[in-house]
Amino acid sequence: MSGLESLIKELLWFWRGTLVTVEVLGGVMGLGLALGLSGAVLQVYGPPPLPALVTGLERLLRGVPPIVLLLLVFYLPWAPPPLVVAIVALGLCSGAYQSQIFRAAIQSIDRRQTEAARALGMSAPQAILHVILPQALRRAIGPWSNEFSSQIKDTSLAYIVGVVEILRQARYVISYTYGNSLLVYGFCALIYFLLTRAGNAALYRLEARLWVPGCERRLLKRRV
Amino acid sequence: MKRVVLLLGVVCVFAFGTLQGEEKDVYIVGVDAAFPPFTWVEQGEFRGFDVEVIQAIADLEGFAVEFRDLPWATIITALAQAKIDLIASGLTVTCERDRVIDFSSPYWEVDQAVLVREDSDLNAITAFNGTTVGAQAGTTGYQWIEDNLVAQGVDIDLRAYETYDMAIRDLENGRIAAVLCDTDTAQGFVDAGRRVKIVGIVKTGEQYAYAVTAGDPYGLLPRINAGLRSLYQSGAWAELVARYFPGRPVGPVPLKRTTTCE
Repeated sequence: MSGLESLIKELLWFWRGTLVTVEVLGGVMGLGLALGLSGAVLQVYGPPPLPALVTGLERLLRGVPPIVLLLLVFYLPWAPPPLVVAIVALGLCSGAYQSQIFRAAIQSIDRRQTEAARALGMSAPQAILHVILPQALRRAIGPWSNEFSSQIKDTSLAYIVGVVEILRQARYVISYTYGNSLLVYGFCALIYFLLTRAGNAALYRLEARLWVPGCERRLLKRRV
Repeated sequence: MKRVVLLLGVVCVFAFGTLQGEEKDVYIVGVDAAFPPFTWVEQGEFRGFDVEVIQAIADLEGFAVEFRDLPWATIITALAQAKIDLIASGLTVTCERDRVIDFSSPYWEVDQAVLVREDSDLNAITAFNGTTVGAQAGTTGYQWIEDNLVAQGVDIDLRAYETYDMAIRDLENGRIAAVLCDTDTAQGFVDAGRRVKIVGIVKTGEQYAYAVTAGDPYGLLPRINAGLRSLYQSGAWAELVARYFPGRPVGPVPLKRTTTCE
C-alpha cells in the first residue's frame, strides 16, 4: 500500500487526533489563563508574602522543561485519564508563562490611573477590575497569541503519557506501513501550521475588535 | 484562589480513587502501538498478534481488558507503578526488567537480525567491523551490540535511534552500515519493500512474555499462563501464528523460561 493511500485511509483518525490536540490545547490555555491571570494579580497587588510565593512558583515552573513536568504529573500517585494529566502538567507550565504576560500588561497601565480611580471613590479591587484589567487584557492579547502558538506545538509532547494526538496518530501510520515518514510528518506539519494560523487569525481579529479608539494600537492595519 | 482550592480538591479525589480492591472490572493493558506485527493501531483500532492473544485469553479466563497506548519510553515504569495492569507488547524478558515487574511464562522467541542496504556487499561479520551501526535505544538489540561488541573493544560506532524506522532510513541513505533488530521486525521492513536485506541472524534466543506489576496484585499471571495453555490445546494458537507469521513453525506454549536472574 502506498503512503498516500494509507494517509487517505487514516484521514478520519487524523481528524480525531486533531480534535484531541484541540482539546488538550483548550484545556491548557484555559487552565493557564486562570492560573496566569490570578497569579499576575497576586504578584502585583497581593499582600505579602503572596507576591514572593507566586514569583517563586512561577520561576520554578518556568525552569522545568514541559516534558519533565508531564512525566512528574504522570507518576504522581493518582490515576486520571491521560488527557487530564497532559492538561494539568502543560497548564501549570503555561500558567507560569501567562502570569508574566499579564503582569507586564498590568504594569504597562499608568499607575496614576489607579490613583485617579481611588480618588473617585473606587475601592482597590474595583479599580483593578473596572479600570486596570479591561485595558491590560486588551494589551495582553498580542503576547498571549504568541503563547498560544507555542503551546499548540507543545501539545505534541502529550503522547509521552498516552494521549493519542496528531503526532501519535502519525507514528501509528509510520510504524504499521514500515515507512512513509517524510509524507506523514509533512502532513502533520501542515495540520499544525493550519491550526496555528487559524488561532492567530482569530486572536488578531479579537484584538482589532476590542480596540478602544484613542488607545495605542499594536497593529497598524488589520492584519489577518 | 477558588480555582486553586478546586484543583486541590480534584487532586485529592483522584489520589483516594486509586485505593485498590481485590479484582478489577477492567484491566488496562499497555501496548506500544508502534510495534507491528505484535501491536499497532490501524484506523483507530488496536491490532496485532499480542492484542489478539490477550483478548482471547481474557475471553477464556473471564476477565475484561481495555488497551491503552503508551510509548516505549514510559511503558515499563508505568506498569511498575501500577498505572496500567498488564503489558502485552513484544516485551523481552530481561533481568533488569524482572527487578521491577513480574513476567508470565514466555510465549515467543526471537533472535536479532543484521540488516544492511539492499545493494551492500557487507555480510554479518564485515558489517560490524570498523563501521557505524544503529539500533533503537532501550531495545535488546542495542544492548547486545553494547555488551558484546563495544565493551569487547571491537572497532565499531554505535548510534541510538528513537525508532527503528529512523535507523532504517539512515541505513537506506548510507549514513550507517548496519542495523540490528528483532527478527520479526526486520522481516516486516523487508516485506514492506524498504531498500534493506537481512544478511545474518545473531542467535540471542530472547523470549517475549506478558508482564504485570510486581507482586501480581490481581493474580493475573496464573490466569494468563493457563490461558496460553488452553489457546495452544484448542488450536487457536496455531491459527493466530499462521495468520501473523506465515510459514513459521508452531511449538507448544507456554515456553520454558531460559533467562535466570538472581
